[in-house]
Amino acid sequence: MEEPEPALIRAAAAGDLAAFERLVRMYQEPVWRFLRRLLGDAGVAEDVAQETFLRVFRRLPTFAFEARFSTWVFQVARNAGVDELRSRNRRIRLASLAPPPASPVGMPEARAEIDAALASLPVDLREAILLIEVLGLRYHEVARVLGVPEGTVKSRVFSARSRLHRWSTADEERASGEV
Amino acid sequence: MRCDDARAAISLRLDGELPDGADVRAAEEHADACAECSRFARHADRVRAALRFEAVGAVPDLAPAVLADLEPRQGPGRRVGVGDVGHPRSTRPRRPVVVAAGLAAIAGLAAGVAFVGLGPEPRSPAAADLPDRVLAAQAGIESLDARFQLVERDVTGDQWDGRLEGRLVYEAPESLALTLSDRRSTEADQRLVVNGERWWQSTVRACSPRPDWTGCTDATRRWVRSVRGREPFSESSPVPLELINPVDGFTPAASTLAGLGTRTIAGRRAVGVAVTAAQMGPFLDGLSAGAHLRAVHPGDPVALWLDDEHLVPLEVTVRAASDPGRGRWASGRGATDRAGDTVLRFTVTSVTINGPIADDAFATPARMVPDEALDAGFRQGDGPAGPVPSELPGGFRPYRSGTISGTGGPTIAVDSWTDGRAWLAVRSTREWPGGRLFGGLRTSVRTVDLGDAGVAYVSDDGRKVALHSDGLDVVVSGSVAPDELRAAAASVGVTGLRVPGSWDESATATLAEAAGVVPGLLVAPELDGFGPPAVRLADGLVIQDYAGAGDRGFTLVMSRMSALTPPANGDVVGIEIRGTAGRYSAERGQLEWVEDGTTHGLSSHTLTLAELLVLAQSLEPA
Repeated sequence: MEEPEPALIRAAAAGDLAAFERLVRMYQEPVWRFLRRLLGDAGVAEDVAQETFLRVFRRLPTFAFEARFSTWVFQVARNAGVDELRSRNRRIRLASLAPPPASPVGMPEARAEIDAALASLPVDLREAILLIEVLGLRYHEVARVLGVPEGTVKSRVFSARSRLHRWSTADEERASGEV
Repeated sequence: MRCDDARAAISLRLDGELPDGADVRAAEEHADACAECSRFARHADRVRAALRFEAVGAVPDLAPAVLADLEPRQGPGRRVGVGDVGHPRSTRPRRPVVVAAGLAAIAGLAAGVAFVGLGPEPRSPAAADLPDRVLAAQAGIESLDARFQLVERDVTGDQWDGRLEGRLVYEAPESLALTLSDRRSTEADQRLVVNGERWWQSTVRACSPRPDWTGCTDATRRWVRSVRGREPFSESSPVPLELINPVDGFTPAASTLAGLGTRTIAGRRAVGVAVTAAQMGPFLDGLSAGAHLRAVHPGDPVALWLDDEHLVPLEVTVRAASDPGRGRWASGRGATDRAGDTVLRFTVTSVTINGPIADDAFATPARMVPDEALDAGFRQGDGPAGPVPSELPGGFRPYRSGTISGTGGPTIAVDSWTDGRAWLAVRSTREWPGGRLFGGLRTSVRTVDLGDAGVAYVSDDGRKVALHSDGLDVVVSGSVAPDELRAAAASVGVTGLRVPGSWDESATATLAEAAGVVPGLLVAPELDGFGPPAVRLADGLVIQDYAGAGDRGFTLVMSRMSALTPPANGDVVGIEIRGTAGRYSAERGQLEWVEDGTTHGLSSHTLTLAELLVLAQSLEPA
């Protein structure tokens, strides 16, 4: 996605809320979509997306223009999402079989299937494939967001695709009564 | 070319990451000839299409809520969204950062000790009726002044690491000062003071390093957060009332508890009972409102000693559980705990109950300059602000009443009543936008017939009762027994309606309805210390949530699929369940098996594998 003007980032970092609001509106859609897929729940994603932008605002003064601003925002979103995953489980909300209760987007069946398949992935594979597929990042950008080497990104993305494919194959076989 | 190599190349090509000079043609030729690899490629395309190109109409506009949160730092408005109140679609109240750190340490876990609610347990006369006594004791507490020690085992070594001295001062119903200091330092490390509509917290914050993270400027620094406009018994601000009486830890009540006898602690007669860290979760959360506690496993056995007269926790000792999952959990965190090691101990060294409290016990220092000064939006009013229940528990008298507005969310009326530490609050709004129930209940709820008062929705743990009606949404919460909450809700003069079909809770069902979806529906027997299930129907699935005392709970999911999906995690092991071949994933804390053509999943992050297996065996037709 297009980078915001450095002047806009600097204004927001200096506390200009109108400038920051423009940044929020630029990034809220990709951040929320990424978190919804990562967390599997639209409402929780909304909460964590809000937390993401609060963190972004607090840390804006430290943004050094060394990386793309988008990458930096997605890194904050990913860390907030992983924090949420770590701190949930106080009471398990949904078993793996259960789709999220609300289904606001897309065709219900297809959506539930992809969400169930994503939920079956370990977090490290899930976050890698989502950074590629939902946000359209390049491998070196994913590497920066996750703090891992590019080679690791490559193998995680491939593992994720292989597992999602295995999941769908088993689904089709079940549907056609082969198992 | 082998399939794996071809698919790796397909994956790279899809992402535009093929290295220069890569042998693309070999991969393409292979995929053309290999049905399985071309399916792989088509599926990868489909996943991309589903994830990248979806309808965007449902994306929420976050800017107003985010800016409402930021405004107090900037302008004279000084307002802040208050957890679920300001953000009607959120699924839980947002907790302050410091508390969240403690929660993260305590959650994220998986297992337990000897079972919950099934089979005979050793009964001790001293421990009999303890849950009922904890509930009842609340009314008799007007004040408390305790000094305590908090000792934690170092996660990585054999040394006793953290040894903190603390003081807890409390005055009914919700004024509290919690201070913790390291013996070596002269200044209090952590101080939390809650006093009516104000609370403030002073902590030493560490900057937690993250991979590739450049945002940390100071390594540690003192951080003061000050909040005004706090609503009575707010769930989004820390008031660790569990430290006074562990009410949530004993709701729903269990009647068979493993008693540990009696002994003397801080000069008082104490009665002991064996529970788990998950059951004491709310207490440990409360303690971590003042300190960053180390992680404990939810299945860790806890020896809880309560004051025999007032049921105040006098000693809480958490030991490392002995099951194999615990070892894996600890090593994943670099911990060296061995089974039986004491990992955390809270001990009261002196305590005065119902004595006089100094006037300045909950005062705010005059020269304190907060780093964050927030306004949660509550303003005290004269007399009732919303509907008033005609049936309150005996001895309850009116406490704070008022309205919350200007937070970016709906205007909310709040009324509250107390007796000692016990409390009950009624919150209501005429501006609820819908989509889900007002009041911050989780999606798993039960419907309850209140007779003339219509239908109410009760949270799975029984601690909240919500009523939806035309133009008015009400939620009743409190520290009293679930039947007292229901009686209060039935007497607020509102006739509850079923929620519209578009709301999350419209999936709520009765067991009878669920049995129509999945023939041969299995349910858990009546379990000691667990409530009845909250049942939901979703896309041919029946989901039953069972909430227990403290943070204990489990979920049973049934679907008419006749085969299990392929194991997704590397940690899945085969295991016999109810006489058939099933499997277990430790990461998910989940058992799965197929029975009578129906897929079953039984999962919990607060019960052990042994407990889950006993539970699975005990399931019976509805």
